[in-house]
Formats: sequence, C-alpha cells, structure tokens
Amino acid sequence: MITYIVRRLLMIPLLLLAISLVVFSMGQLLGPDLLVSAYINPNVAERMTAEQLNSLKEKYGLNDPMPVRYAKWLSNTLKGDLGWSQVGKEPVLDAILNRLPYSIEIALWALFPIIGFSIWMGVKAAVKHNTFFDHFIRVFTLIGWSFPDFVFGIFILLFFYGVLGWFPPGVISVEGFQIMRSPEFTNYTGMITIDAIFNWRWDIFIDGLRHLIAPILTISYLWWAYLLRITRASMLEVMRKDYVRTARAKGVSEKNVVHKHAKRNALIPVVTVSGQFIIGLIMGVIIVETVFNRPGFGRLTANAAQTLDYSTVMGSLLFTSIIMIVGNLIVDVTYALIDPRIRLE
Amino acid sequence: MKKFFVLLFAILLTVSMFSQVPNPDRFFYATFGDADTLDPHEAYDTSSNEILYNLYDNLIRYDGERIDAFLPMLSTAVPTEDNGYIRNDGRTYVFPIRQGVKFHNGATLTPQDVEYTFKRAIIHSSPSGPISYMLIPKFLGVQDITDKAAEYVGVSWADMIDADGDAKPEYRERLINFYNDVIDPLVIVEGNEVHLNIQDPSASFLFILAHGGSWASILNKDWMIKEGNWDGKADGWWKYYYPQKEESPLFEKAMGTGPFKLVDWNKAQQRFELERFDDYWRGPAKLKTVIRQGIDEWATRRTMLERGEADIIMEIAMYMDQMEGRENEGIKVLKGLGDLTSIVLNMTWEVKADSRYIFSGRLDGQGVPPDFFTDKNVRLAFQHLINYEAIINDVLNGNGMRMATTLAKPLLGYSEEIAYPEFNLKIAENYFRRAYRGRLWDTGFKIGVLYNIGNDIRRTVAEMVRDNLARINPRFQAEVIGLQWAAYLDARNNKEMPVYALGWAADYPDPTNFINVYYSSEGYYGVAYGDSYKVFSNQPQPFFGGASLDAYINLAAKELDQDKRAEMYERIQQFVVGEAIAIPLYQPTSVRFMRDWVQNFIFNPIRPGYDFWELYKE
Repeated sequence: MITYIVRRLLMIPLLLLAISLVVFSMGQLLGPDLLVSAYINPNVAERMTAEQLNSLKEKYGLNDPMPVRYAKWLSNTLKGDLGWSQVGKEPVLDAILNRLPYSIEIALWALFPIIGFSIWMGVKAAVKHNTFFDHFIRVFTLIGWSFPDFVFGIFILLFFYGVLGWFPPGVISVEGFQIMRSPEFTNYTGMITIDAIFNWRWDIFIDGLRHLIAPILTISYLWWAYLLRITRASMLEVMRKDYVRTARAKGVSEKNVVHKHAKRNALIPVVTVSGQFIIGLIMGVIIVETVFNRPGFGRLTANAAQTLDYSTVMGSLLFTSIIMIVGNLIVDVTYALIDPRIRLE
Repeated sequence: MKKFFVLLFAILLTVSMFSQVPNPDRFFYATFGDADTLDPHEAYDTSSNEILYNLYDNLIRYDGERIDAFLPMLSTAVPTEDNGYIRNDGRTYVFPIRQGVKFHNGATLTPQDVEYTFKRAIIHSSPSGPISYMLIPKFLGVQDITDKAAEYVGVSWADMIDADGDAKPEYRERLINFYNDVIDPLVIVEGNEVHLNIQDPSASFLFILAHGGSWASILNKDWMIKEGNWDGKADGWWKYYYPQKEESPLFEKAMGTGPFKLVDWNKAQQRFELERFDDYWRGPAKLKTVIRQGIDEWATRRTMLERGEADIIMEIAMYMDQMEGRENEGIKVLKGLGDLTSIVLNMTWEVKADSRYIFSGRLDGQGVPPDFFTDKNVRLAFQHLINYEAIINDVLNGNGMRMATTLAKPLLGYSEEIAYPEFNLKIAENYFRRAYRGRLWDTGFKIGVLYNIGNDIRRTVAEMVRDNLARINPRFQAEVIGLQWAAYLDARNNKEMPVYALGWAADYPDPTNFINVYYSSEGYYGVAYGDSYKVFSNQPQPFFGGASLDAYINLAAKELDQDKRAEMYERIQQFVVGEAIAIPLYQPTSVRFMRDWVQNFIFNPIRPGYDFWELYKE
C-alpha cells in the first residue's frame, strides 16, 4: 500500500502540469481582448483609447504568444509566485491561503454531523424498511434533494437570522473581530473556532460557532438527503445478501447482523460519496459562502472566473487539483481499510 | 396616583427601549464588492474613492450638496480672480496652506506636502488611473507624461528606458533636465503658498481639485518617502512612472489628514475598519468606528438592515418595492437622486470601411455605406426611433430622467428650454424618406446595432431600434449584436460600430466633462465619430457667428464668467440637438436605503460615497 501511495503522490506534479497546460490553452482561446478585461478599471473602461488598451495588454504580456506566456507562468509558479489576484487584491497564493481556512472550517464542522447522521439514519431506515420511520426519512430526503440550495440558504438566513436573530451572517461579530485582531489573540490556523480553542477564548469560540451554524445547517440538510439515500439503498441491498441470511440462520443477533456484517459492506459506496463530499466542501460551497457572506475558496474561484482573472483561476485550479488527487487517494486507502478484500497495487 | 406613575414609568421605559439606537458611535455600511487600491493617484472606482474620501482631504471641497460652489479645506481660500489667487490670465492658481493641520501620524501639514502630492501625481500617471484624464491634461496638455518627455528628449520613452524601468545612461541627464525644466515649475512653493501652474486657462480646474477621495488628496511627503515612494528628487523620477497597481506602496496603506484613520483592510472579508481621528482639524467626527463590508448577496444585506445591524446598505434600484413604505419599521428610502451620468446611443459618422457591422458596406439594401450617418436625415430619423419613456418607466423601473442632450442635469448650461428628442415613428419615417434623396426608402439597408454583453438595458435599446426600423419599413433591417466588454471597446476605438450604446459618468461637475467629451471632435466620443465629424465640427457655422463647433466649445471651456459660459453651453446644445449628433437615452437616478436613525446625509452627486464625518446616528 505504501508503494501505491508514494506512486500516486509522485504523479501529482505530472498531473498538475498536464491540467495546467490544458486550462492555460483554453484560456488563450479567449484572446488578449477578453483577458485584458481583468486589468481594466471599469471607470476608465469607457474612455480608454486603443493605444492605452494596447499598452495594458503589453504591460501584462497578453500580446505574447501562448508558449511564451505559459513558460513565464510556469517558471514563476515553480518559484512560488502564482501572480497577482485581481479579485483577491493580493498575491494569488495569499488570496487562496487567506480564504481556504474558512472553507476547511466549514468542512470540519459539517463533516461529522453530516456523515454520522446520514449513516445512522440511513441504516435505521433500511432496517425499519417500509415502516413509518422509513417513509418519513424518504420524504425528508426527497425534500432536501429537491430544494435548490440557494433558496434553502436564503430561507435559513431569513428564519434563523431575520426572524429569530440567532445565527447572523459573516464569520464573527464586530467585537469578536476586534479581539481577534488585537495582540492578545494569536491566529494559528485562520479557522476562528480552532484558533479560539488554542487561545482559550471561549467567547470567540461561541461567537465563531454562532456564525457557522446556519451555513452548516444549510449544507447539512442538502447533503444529508444525498448521503442518507445512498446509505439506505446500499444497506437495503446488503441486507438481502446471502451472507446476511446465513448469519441470521446461524443465530447471530440482529444487532450484530446489522452492525458487524451488513453495515461494514454497505459503507463502501458511502465512502466514495463522502470523499467527493469532503473535497467539495473544501473547494468551497459558493452559494453558502455568498448567502452567509463567508469568504471562501469557492467564492474566490467563481469571482475570478467571472472576471476572467486568469492568474487566480490558474492558482485555484492547482489547489483544486491537489485537493482532488489527495482526496481521492484518501478515499482509495479508506476502501482498503474498510474492506480487506480490496488491495491497492 | 401611584398606579399612574407606575404606568408612566412603564411607558417611558418602553419608549426609551424602542427609541434606543444600537451602537450609536459605530457605523456599519454593507456594500457590494471591495476597493481596488488605496493609492489616490490610481484609485478610480467609487469603492476605493469612498474610503479615500474619509481618509484624506483636498485643498478645497464642494459646499454640501452644491456642485457649483466650493469651500476651503487644506487651503484657507478658494482661488478666484477677485481674491487675487487666480493669476497669470487664469494659468496660475494659488493656495495658502492651512496651519496646524495634522496627519494621522501626528506630523504637521506643510506646503511641501502639497507640492510633493501634485508632482508625484504627474510622475505616477498611469493610463489605468485617473491622473492621465484629470490632472496631466491640465498641467501639460497631454495624457501621459512620457509623451512630453519623449518630445523634450527627442526619442520615444521605450528607447530611453531599459527593461528594469531605469533610464539608459545616455538619456539620464536629459530626463533629469526634463524634470527640472518641465515638471518642477508646474508646482511651486512660495512661503506658505502653493502655486499650481497649468497650461491653459481652465474653468474646470477647481472642479477637478475639489473632487474628494482621489487624484487631489493631499499626501504626507516624509511618510511617503519612508514607505519607499518617490523621494521628491529629479534624479530617478522615471522609476516611479506607471507602476503596476499592486506595486505602489500606497496600495493598502494610507496617511492623510482626513477625519478617519485606516485601521484594517481585510481583503478576504472585503472589510474596512476606520477609526475616528481625534485631532482632525474640523473637529472629531461623531462616529467613532466605521465598518464598511462587502456583502454581495442582496437578501443578506437587506436582512441586516431590517435587523438594524447595518445602518446603510448598498442599494439596488430594482428592489425598491421591497424597501418602500416601511417607515414604521425604521427603514428610510431616498429616491430620485440624480447621477451625473448620461447614457447615449452613439452614431459613427465614418465607420471603418471593412467593418463587419455595416455588412455589404454599400447602399444596396444589404448594408450601409461607411458614412451612413453623415446624412443628417438618417441621424434625425434614428433620434425618433427610441421610446424614451418606455425605457425609463419599464426597463429602469422609473430610475432615470429624460435628457435633451448629453449634458447631465443640473450642470452649468443645463436648460429646461431645450426640447427632449421625441419618440415618433411617423416623423422618423419622414426623415428616412428624405435621406439619400429618397433612395434609402426604396433600397432599404442592413446595419448592426451593438451593445456590450451583460448590459440588458442597452440590449433592450438595440432591440427597440431593430423592431421600430422594421415597423417603419420592412426593408430596414438591424441586427442586434452583443460583444464582450474589451472587444466592444476595441470595436468602438477602431470605429467599427455604426450604432452603439455607451455612457459617461462625470469626473467633475463641469459641462466640459460632457460637452467636450461628446461634441468636440477632440473629445473621447468626437474622435470615435470619425474624420467626417472632424470636418463637420471645424466648419464655420453661422449659428456661432462664424465660429466652428469645435472653436466655440473651446471658447466656452476657457470662459471664466460663469453666466456667459452657461449661455454658451445652451447655445451649443441647441445646435447639437438640431444636428442629432448623439442620441441621449437617459440620465440614471439612484436610491439610498438606510435606517431612520442615520442623520445628516447630504446628497452630492459628485461625491464618491458617504461622508462619515457628517453622518451620525440618533
């Protein structure tokens, strides 16, 4: 397994090179006229002369041939310089690293309730197949699955913030922000709740958590619906397998049949989906970040794509690729741990 | 009696609870997006300018909501001919500098700070910033300092400067001489006065200097040098020309004399925090802390306002119906605030011959000739094709005003006497029948009407032109074509677009900012109309007593008697309306959404945003 992991990790640079080449080439199809948009100040835009527009293209090397531009980008990237982020107003690397902790923080907090609840309820629904509980879960998941995430997010915001005033948008209150910026508070990870624990500031922890609940609730319901359905379906299928019948025939208790024999096998597809889910969370949930006004990796990437900020798009792509490759590797390794029949070679 | 007092106490308690303003000395403004840069010589977006407006001061400022009157600021006087501070036939403006003004770091303002500020602006001149449009043309008559340097040295800028931005050894001395001979005399300190020497008399110069939060903000020389900016010396000035925005040491720092100090700019959260400057020379602001945060989602901003956690939110006019009539909930809506902007349908008098948007390029029913719009009947016909009221009422939801010409209301020279263009297809038909001596009606034509993709209002206008043309004569075909922004600009600059919608927002509230831009053949739009327009605008006109349109526009720009100027601009407008040189579509109006405890909001259309020194909560 170690060889497999090392081999997969060694492939990362090659994969990144291939992906960056493809995306860079796609960008060049847009041409300098479109790519220069990211550098034009909208207020000046309506009055720029052809010469000024061209000088802007020259300054940012947009008139250079594609191989020259790619070579420049690659050489700078290898030196750790991913360029300037027009949307982030800071170097691309800083823009990503300053936003990634917010996405990871949501992922961390959402991960356990979503996966834990989904597996628990999914297994329970399968065991109590065709009972009232099962029907309730089916309706519950159907609603969640059909709800547009944007509408659900706004609904959560209006109810829990607009009506009840419990969970405000943003990441922290004004007072909390001032404390976090003061010398008495050290930012270790950029994740507010985690840093609050390290600083032993429970007021900041609660403040940060208060701002996390509504976005987590939004993501959770939508993902519960998805994971729960998969767990339930997978569990139902496994419960009909011969070895489960055999276990029952041998007099194994129903509890052991469900938890020791069936559940372990039923979780394999759940692991696949959960892997994608975690990767998706880290890459940012744009809608949730927008509605609840949380800075995040997804929102940065989406804004960069909308404004044709190509340096940021390329930088985000590199990060996304690394997260995807490492995430999928973790999923593969988890398979092998859950099911000893799977061998990684 | 006892019961009465208990009841009274309960009522008073309830009233006091409900009338309490949350965080009275903290102001939260939920806006959209983030600032672009904090360098006043580079910032050219309202988001950046609004922050700078509260961090820096100018020499003079606009008087409250007036756009035609000034007050002294860091200068103790507004220059006029009467007070003797406008000299040398209007080419020298003198500013006595206020004593005892403090910068945020405690340093005292000196005339040398003012001198450094304007010289740094001239040297910095970047085509993506405001300086090349505002200050350099006034000081040097060009848009770019390098044009003047090339003229002085005798070789192009690219030949003088190496790849690292340093002067080649053989040109170094001449570039130093250029600074000493050309740049240095533009700004002179005499005792406590600063003299600004401009190239030609200009009625708009004070308007430019009064514009807050941008090119005329006064910097702190010593602090700038300490931060790695230009050292104020002739040797090496060229290294500070046109840096990339992010390379400027002022990109995310500020040191002004304004009413607020910059505490923090959190880019991830699009959040600015400003703190009251207690030593502000006009007295400290009532608000202690101002937070401006970019909250992109409208529903989130609206909910924050409803809960009273935001004091003002960035408005979206189309959602006005969600906010109106909620005074009892403490929500205040201000509407009908006129922006100094004009949106115009432009016609190119001489389209590039190989433009794809004139199709066959001939008057054969399958295209139009490149000089299609030199026929006055065609221009007048197009002017009557637009249903202006429908655009304002249905497309803009009422957030716009009619315009007679491209001059925005209420600038000097604006007159209600000048008639608005009329939507009347019958009149349009009559003009089309006369065009090209009657040939156009029989042959028909095909033309591209262009808009920039994403601007649905402009697309609707283009579709309206297309549909109304077809209604008048089925042989009149218009193809509505959308282009991406940069391609749109390129097509405009290359004179490829025969008809297109584009706008202009005022940089300073002077008629030159609209009249010269649209109607002078040297103006931004005038140049794009093509050489035929240049010929036309330089022809002697009996209407102007024999002067050409261009000459008359230049005379008006230099006229220092404001009443006389107003008359001249009215006359220019009467002329251009008769010639249908450009079709003014509408002047946008804006709205503001705020809590009712926000006090002392003064609307001045030229301000880049809110003045937090004036605002308070009560």
